[in-house]
Amino acid sequence: MDFSQSNKDLWKEIYNTKDLLHCFNCSTCISGCPASNGEPPLLVRNLARMVVYGLEDELYDEDTPWACVSCSRCEEMCPMDVKPFELILAIRKWQSTNDETRVPPSIVEIYTRGYTQAVGMNVELRKSLGLPELKTITNMPEQMKLYQEMLMKTPVVKENDYMFKEE
Amino acid sequence: MKLCLFLGCNTPAIRPDVEQAIRLTMPELGVQLLDTEGYVCCPAFGSFPSTDDESWLASSGWNLSIAEAKGLDIMVECGSCYSSLRMGRDHLVHDKKKLARINELLELTGRKLKCKTKVHHVSKILYKDVGTEKISKAIKKNLKGVHGVIQYPCHTLFPSEVVGFEDSPREPKALRQLTEALGATVDTYSHELSCCGGAGGFTNNSPNEATEFAKAKLDAIIDETKAEFIVVSCITCLMHLDNIQKKLNETENTDKYNIPVFDYNQLLALCMGFDAKQVASISSISKDSIINKLK
Ligand code: SF4
Ligand code: SF4
Repeated sequence: MDFSQSNKDLWKEIYNTKDLLHCFNCSTCISGCPASNGEPPLLVRNLARMVVYGLEDELYDEDTPWACVSCSRCEEMCPMDVKPFELILAIRKWQSTNDETRVPPSIVEIYTRGYTQAVGMNVELRKSLGLPELKTITNMPEQMKLYQEMLMKTPVVKENDYMFKEE
Repeated sequence: MKLCLFLGCNTPAIRPDVEQAIRLTMPELGVQLLDTEGYVCCPAFGSFPSTDDESWLASSGWNLSIAEAKGLDIMVECGSCYSSLRMGRDHLVHDKKKLARINELLELTGRKLKCKTKVHHVSKILYKDVGTEKISKAIKKNLKGVHGVIQYPCHTLFPSEVVGFEDSPREPKALRQLTEALGATVDTYSHELSCCGGAGGFTNNSPNEATEFAKAKLDAIIDETKAEFIVVSCITCLMHLDNIQKKLNETENTDKYNIPVFDYNQLLALCMGFDAKQVASISSISKDSIINKLK
């Protein structure tokens, strides 16, 4: 492996916790991880290594952090308190901060209507089950505007504001 | 007790019969539910929690502040919503700098967050606050002689430090005992504590492997138990284990996968005598076999 190009401070940039440096490659985070059965497999141990070794280019191109189902088994079982699930989120944050093609489209949906699903739109079905009309944020335009104004101040929305412009 | 009901998105939009089961059963057990008006996405782990802390925690803060203004705690069924809200709150409680920044953002919207509101999973409320005894007394019909199995929602177990409520997170028993309180016999199986595999990117990135993963669980249930139903308490587990059986039957040209999947509150509602059309009518695998067995 060629380490001449590696960024020794990468871990500080991505996941600035000493616990990460205690990872001893035991693979506990992989056994029991549903996404380790994927193609390609999600191998948290390897991602931890990439961050510690500063393999920036490899990590930039890694799709596997996005296969995580957030079950947090790894977080529970890791004997060194690396918090592997938090590490996965940290890698995703680093990727989407440095590569706009990584920004998940779901955040545009949430910005636009508050949710990733069409909550409250199934009026007839809800009525047939005897359910009340929902006070969703979509039905509260003033609240929606405030929520959007608040999000506009957060880094991901500010940096990528062109994604959030109303058509 | 009074709680704010946080519905998330999948339950009200895709499986509103589960919402109705929760709304009808909890008040019968002394739990009054108020709506969380103007809530937004929890936010889902694949969204803002994967982009930056500010947009994640500002959204958590937005949701928490709605219940806090009412002076109430929050109750959630969806595992992802539960875990995202709990983890978001945990960050805010333990990091004063983050809380201060989120309050700057919330202030723009006329809100303030003290992090007084706690977040509970519905199965914790049922198990620890209501209790199995009260549930057994509240039902009119039961599942005596019917075998079932449990799918524990990962997000209510791990990391136990942040989300847990079981006395022993690696040997959970809340859902088992709650189901036994309805008279059913709960069998164990080898894949009981594995994930359903339905959340996040796994099913999108590796659809075939994700299907195989769920199939291994279903095969274990079929081969090792006498289960006639599966109990979950998470909308993702519910939709995934239900829908994947239909898919497996189609792709494998079989009718072997036909175990109805119930959210716990749906079973509870049926045992309390509520109309199946209102509380258990949406599914890929019909729930009639169990509905007809209730005595
Ligand atoms: S379980 Fe923890 S210590 Fe073991 S390889 Fe994974 S991150 Fe490293
Ligand atoms: S949280 Fe993600 S990485 Fe950890 S075990 Fe679950 S799917 Fe695997």
